[in-house]
Amino acid sequence: MSARKYKPTDTVDFVVVGSGAAGGVMARELSQAGFEVLVLEQGPRFTAADFRHDELDYWFNGAITNKLDTNPQTFRKSAAEKAQRVTEFPAAWYAPNVGGSSVHFTANFWRLHDVDFNERSRLGEIPGTTFADWPITYDELEPYYTKVEWEVGVSGLAGASPFDPWRSKPYPMPPMPVKSSGVLLERGARKMGWHPYPAPMAIASVPYKGRSACAHCGFCIGFGCEMQAKSSTLYTMIPEAEATGRCEVRPLSYVSRIETNAAGRATGVAYFDKDKREHFQKARAVVVCANGAETSRLLLMSANAKFPDGLANSSGYVGKNLMFNTYAEVNALFEHELNEFKSAQVTRVVHDWYDSDPQRGFYGGGGIDSRIGPMPIAWSMFAPPPDRTWGAGFKSLLEALPRAMIVAGHGTSLPLETNRIDLDPELKDAWGLPALRMTYKDHPDDLAMARFLQDRGAEAMQAAGALEVWKGPVAESTGGPHLLGTARMGNDPKTSVVDKYHRSHDIRNLFVCDGSSMVTSGRGQPTMTIQALAFRAGDHIAQFAKRGEI
Amino acid sequence: MDASGTSRRKFLQASGGTLGMAWLAASWPQVVAAAEHAHQMAMDSADRSKFLLLSAAQARDVDAIASQIVPSGATPGAHEAGVVYFIDHVNAGLWKEHGQEFVAGLTDFQAKCAKHHPGVAQFADLSFGDQTAYLKHMEHTPFFGGMRFLTVLGLLALPSYGGNAGKLGWKLVGFVDQHAWQPPFGHYDAEYAGFVPYAKTAGQQS
Repeated sequence: MSARKYKPTDTVDFVVVGSGAAGGVMARELSQAGFEVLVLEQGPRFTAADFRHDELDYWFNGAITNKLDTNPQTFRKSAAEKAQRVTEFPAAWYAPNVGGSSVHFTANFWRLHDVDFNERSRLGEIPGTTFADWPITYDELEPYYTKVEWEVGVSGLAGASPFDPWRSKPYPMPPMPVKSSGVLLERGARKMGWHPYPAPMAIASVPYKGRSACAHCGFCIGFGCEMQAKSSTLYTMIPEAEATGRCEVRPLSYVSRIETNAAGRATGVAYFDKDKREHFQKARAVVVCANGAETSRLLLMSANAKFPDGLANSSGYVGKNLMFNTYAEVNALFEHELNEFKSAQVTRVVHDWYDSDPQRGFYGGGGIDSRIGPMPIAWSMFAPPPDRTWGAGFKSLLEALPRAMIVAGHGTSLPLETNRIDLDPELKDAWGLPALRMTYKDHPDDLAMARFLQDRGAEAMQAAGALEVWKGPVAESTGGPHLLGTARMGNDPKTSVVDKYHRSHDIRNLFVCDGSSMVTSGRGQPTMTIQALAFRAGDHIAQFAKRGEI
Repeated sequence: MDASGTSRRKFLQASGGTLGMAWLAASWPQVVAAAEHAHQMAMDSADRSKFLLLSAAQARDVDAIASQIVPSGATPGAHEAGVVYFIDHVNAGLWKEHGQEFVAGLTDFQAKCAKHHPGVAQFADLSFGDQTAYLKHMEHTPFFGGMRFLTVLGLLALPSYGGNAGKLGWKLVGFVDQHAWQPPFGHYDAEYAGFVPYAKTAGQQS
C-alpha cells in the first residue's frame, strides 16, 4: 500500500511532531492501530544512497545535523549570565531529518535497570535537586523494551551481564563480532574482577526484517548507514507506518506553534514548509516527539492568552531538569594493531558500577565501554594529550592510531531545576522564531562519577597491558546529544508535565513522548528507553482514542 | 541500480575481496548502492595546480606552519599530503565566509613574526628549528589553533577537499577507505577464544 497524503483541509486523528526515535515508533503504533497519522519533520528525507563516508562534512560541517546559521542557539552556565550565541558546535545537537537522531546515533541500546525507576525512594532526597522516582516501574516497561529489540532490531547476548535486569525474551540477533578494543577491555576488566559483556547494539548483526547485515564499514557514530543495517526509524518504523496507508511523513515541515481553542484543547499545529510558507494542519490530537530540547521550545513558543507560560506548563517544569549523561574518555595504545576504524564503535560494556554506592561519597552510577570514533579526524583532533598536539610527538601519535583505542565512561546526570531549555529573549532563527537557549551546569556528583568511571577505564587498560594510557579532560558540559528530562512524566501535576501515559496534565489531547519524558537520566545510551516509552505510550494512546477518551 | 557487472567489480575492489559470498548474496541490493559510494569516495578530483585565495607568499607560510604541525621525515607529512591546498580551497569555497578572517589571522601572524625576526623575509624562511621555537610562543593563539584544526582536516579529510593527496594522510594513520570488512579486524580479536559466561552467582542484581 502506498503512503497516504493528507490535504491541509483534512482533520487527521494525530499530528506527530518529529520523526525520530520516538516519533517514528509513535507513527507506526498509531497508524497500525487504525488511526490517521501525519508526521511533520523539520528536516529532509534521506535515503541510504544519500549517506557518505565524509568525516569532515558529517562532523565538522553539519551535513545531517542542526545548522547554527539558520537555527541558532545560545548557552550559559547560570541564569545570572547573559547567554552567548554558540558558534562551533550546537549545544543541543541532533539530526533534523526523517528518522531524527536515530539516523546518526552510535546505536548503543542499554535498557534501564529497576533501580533507575525508584532510586529516589531507595536513596532518599538529594538536596538541591529534583531527583524523583518515575511513575512507572521497570516491570511495566519490560514488554516494550522487548518490543524495541524485536521490532526495531537489536543485537546482543541475553543474560551475559550479571547486572542486567530480567527480560522476557532473548535478543533477536546475536551480538556484533567483537573488535580488538572489546577483547582488550574484556581482558583488562576480567583481570580486575569485573564483568564485561557483549554490547547490545541497534545494528543488524545478521540480515533482519528485510534489512542487510552490517558491513563493518565503521561509519556509525555521527553517520547515516548506507547498508540500512543500523536500526534507525528511517529504515524500520517509518516504512512500516507508511505501509498501513494511513500515515504520511511530511519532511521540510518546521512546526512553529501548537494551537489551542477556548476549551483548552489542541486543535492542530502551524508549520513552515520548505519555502517558508506557513500552513495550519488540523488534528484531533497532537503528539510532540521533537527531542528533549525542541519539544520544550515548541511548548514554550505556543504560549497564548489561555496558557501564558506555554502549553502543558502549569507546573513550570517545561524545559527544566535538563540532563545529558556524563562522558569521560581514557586513551590507550597497545603493541599490536587494533584497526578500530573498522566495524561498529562498541563491542564490550562493563556495568559493575551501575548502582549508586554511598561508599563512593557521591551519588552516581554508570558504565564503561570500548570504542574509538569517529575516525580518523576527530581522534587526531581531540585525543592527543596537551603536550603532543603538534610536531614530531603528534606525528608519532598519528602513526600509532591503528594501535589506539578509547574506553568511554557514561554516567548519571542529576536533574536540577536550574538546568533548562527556554527561549532566548533576543536572538531569532531564520523564520523569526525565538532561538533555543540552554542553561546548564553539572552537579558536582556528576563530574565526580565521570572521573570515577574514567579511573576504572584507566585501570582496565593498564590491566590489559597497554603501552601508554592517558586520560581526556573531564570538563563541565556545554551541551550534548542526549537531551533528557525537560517534560518529565509524573503523577503529580505540580511537579511533572505529562502523566504516566504521556498525556499532558493540562491539555487532554496533547501528548509528549521523547527524551524529555525521562525523570532520571539513566546511565547513558537513552534511545532504547525513549523507544520503549514510545511503544508504551503509543499502545495507551491508541486505547484512549478507541475508547473516546481523548 | 541493478546488479550490473560494473557495480560488482567496483564493490569487490572497494571491499578488497574479503567478504563471504553468503553475506554478499543476502545483502546484494544495499551492497550495490554502497559500492557506488565507495567508488565515488575513492576518487581524488582536487585540482592542486593553483591557489584560489592565498598568494604564493601566504601559501609558503601556511605550508611551513602545517609542516611544523605534521612534519615530513621518514614518512610523509602535511607538505606531501598537500594540506596547504586544502586550507586554500576550503577558505575559498566550503567555508569561504571565514576566508577573509583566515587571511587576516595569517597576516597578523606574519607581521608579528617579522617583528620578532627582523631581517627575515617571512616565517617560511626561518630555519626549521627557529620556526618550531617561534610557534611555541604562538601555540595558544586562536590562529594557531585554527591552523592545527585545518591541518588535521587537510591531512585526513577526503582527497576531494584538496588535501590528503594520494591518500597520504590516511596511509600515515593506517586508515583504509575500504567500504566493507569482515572479522578479524585486528590482532587481538583474531586470537579471541570466545565469550565465557559468568557463573550465576558472579554479580549482584540491581
